[in-house]
Amino acid sequence: MNSGTGDLRAKIETAFERQVEGLTASAQFRALEEGRATAREYDAFVENVARAHLRSPQLVAFLYALAPPAAAADLRHNLLEELGLEDPAGRAHPDLLSDLLAGAGLAHRLPQVGAQADEDLRRVVVDPLLYGTLREVGLAALAEIVAFEFMLARLAGRFAKALAAHRGLPASALTWFTHHSEVDVRHAEQGLADLEAYARYYDLDDDEALAIVEAALREDVFTRRYWR
Amino acid sequence: MKLVAATLYALGIPFVETFTHSASERHACDSVVVRVRDEAGTEGFGEGAPRPYVTGETVTTMVDHLARELWPGVAERELPPAGHLAGLDAFVPEPSVAGAVAPNASRAALELAILDCILRRAGRSAATVLPPRRSRVTYSGVVTAGSLDRAARHARHLRAIGIRHVKVKVGFDDDVARVTAVRQALGADTSIRLDANGAWSLGRAVEVLSAVAPLGIAAVEQPLPRGGDYAGLRAAVPVPLMADESLVTAADAEALIAARAVDFFNVRVSKCGGLARSLAIAARAAEAGLGVQVGSQVGETAILAAAGRHLAAALPEVAFVEGSFGTLLLTEDVSVESVQFGHRGQAPILTGPGLGIRVIEARLRRHAVAVRELGTGG
Repeated sequence: MNSGTGDLRAKIETAFERQVEGLTASAQFRALEEGRATAREYDAFVENVARAHLRSPQLVAFLYALAPPAAAADLRHNLLEELGLEDPAGRAHPDLLSDLLAGAGLAHRLPQVGAQADEDLRRVVVDPLLYGTLREVGLAALAEIVAFEFMLARLAGRFAKALAAHRGLPASALTWFTHHSEVDVRHAEQGLADLEAYARYYDLDDDEALAIVEAALREDVFTRRYWR
Repeated sequence: MKLVAATLYALGIPFVETFTHSASERHACDSVVVRVRDEAGTEGFGEGAPRPYVTGETVTTMVDHLARELWPGVAERELPPAGHLAGLDAFVPEPSVAGAVAPNASRAALELAILDCILRRAGRSAATVLPPRRSRVTYSGVVTAGSLDRAARHARHLRAIGIRHVKVKVGFDDDVARVTAVRQALGADTSIRLDANGAWSLGRAVEVLSAVAPLGIAAVEQPLPRGGDYAGLRAAVPVPLMADESLVTAADAEALIAARAVDFFNVRVSKCGGLARSLAIAARAAEAGLGVQVGSQVGETAILAAAGRHLAAALPEVAFVEGSFGTLLLTEDVSVESVQFGHRGQAPILTGPGLGIRVIEARLRRHAVAVRELGTGG
């Protein structure tokens, strides 16, 4: 196994921070937070958040299947949490996203949003693989999941506040955001460690791993998902 | 069998990220797609990418040209037989457009749509018209403009996915540093080409190419503007030259060959006026001992990508192939099948009916900034 140089985690964290800064500086984010977005734009944002995360349990299950020993417990925990099975009062995250849509008066859009999420997943499966083996594919997928946890740990509360203030969403509709603002601080920390563990276990050198992480993020992974 | 209806879609499919070079900055696909329908209801799809700095066309002139001149010239005329590419080339009319080098994007869009329609009706693949000489095509990657840090990051991404041929957009103040940074990021075993999009003067071209030649440059595309002193540059630098914007028509090809101006032709289906003419220019290059690159249009959809795939697979020799970025660049492509290249830039030949892809018309409508329906009888 590759022992690395020890700064991979810091470099990935820097890449994530750059993405978060890009998101908060974006015109779309500022309009949403400052109440300048139109009602239609708030609704589109809500739908896109649901679309981006509705099938997260499947993606986390895939990552659990690839998890190196040092990250398996974290990913199993995340998977159970996504499915609402981590504690007796837990609710599956797709159900929380349904609540978000319903709270925004968009319950009727759930079938279409679900179909879009299915198509997104289908595309991931049918598109030619850019990488030669599953180890790179897995790292790219893990990087995207952890990047969202990293971002949501910092911004989910601001999203929730903006939707409550400017779109009038009740607290019950915003549980998905408030949940992520609380638990993703821990998830993001674990996730960074898991990314490093993944690279070490599967013998990816730091430059190679960082290139895959950066390629997964591209220029602005968050705005690409939340403002389509 | 005759064509009875057509639809023009002026697209605006957003890019995943901005694509920048010295001549343009693009945020979205602005292709024009043509759908034709014959009497039996068989449909075919073609695409052209108007580029003012290449063919002299814009989206507006292209739509107008298709609607007012090209479509009336093919509607309700007996179509040529399937598999007769030269017959199809003669079937599509060729009026000129004021101010344009040649209205080739319009022509390509219509030619491809008719070819797709005729072949679909016959249940045949374009691979039967352009028999493939290889089982898969290997694509190049592109490092776009932007900061040096961004260029190096792009290069690392391309290396991570196994790309072995990379084109670097140049034509900026920091060209030498840019190419050096990309070479460092890619390592020694990846071929690098440059593309200045005609941004250099002769002096600047000599200066940059002399400085970067030791880094191993496989070719430089369009170093000078159209009409520049290519023969002079070719004599002055050790880097092979490739014509792109200077190569739009068959007459351009002949002039470049006669002047011994370049070492490679960049043949692009949209720019060159369709598959038949692209094939002819590539054949002429081979006769003259020039190498051929099958190029693409930035942001082209699966339709032009499929046409380019057929061309690249069919040529006896092809030095480099570009395109098929699919959803690596577009937020959504327009076909059921993904034409995007995979690991190492490789992609299989297409064997389905027509151009080998199934276009999702609803996606064209969703991404169209304008749609124009054309019928027969005025």
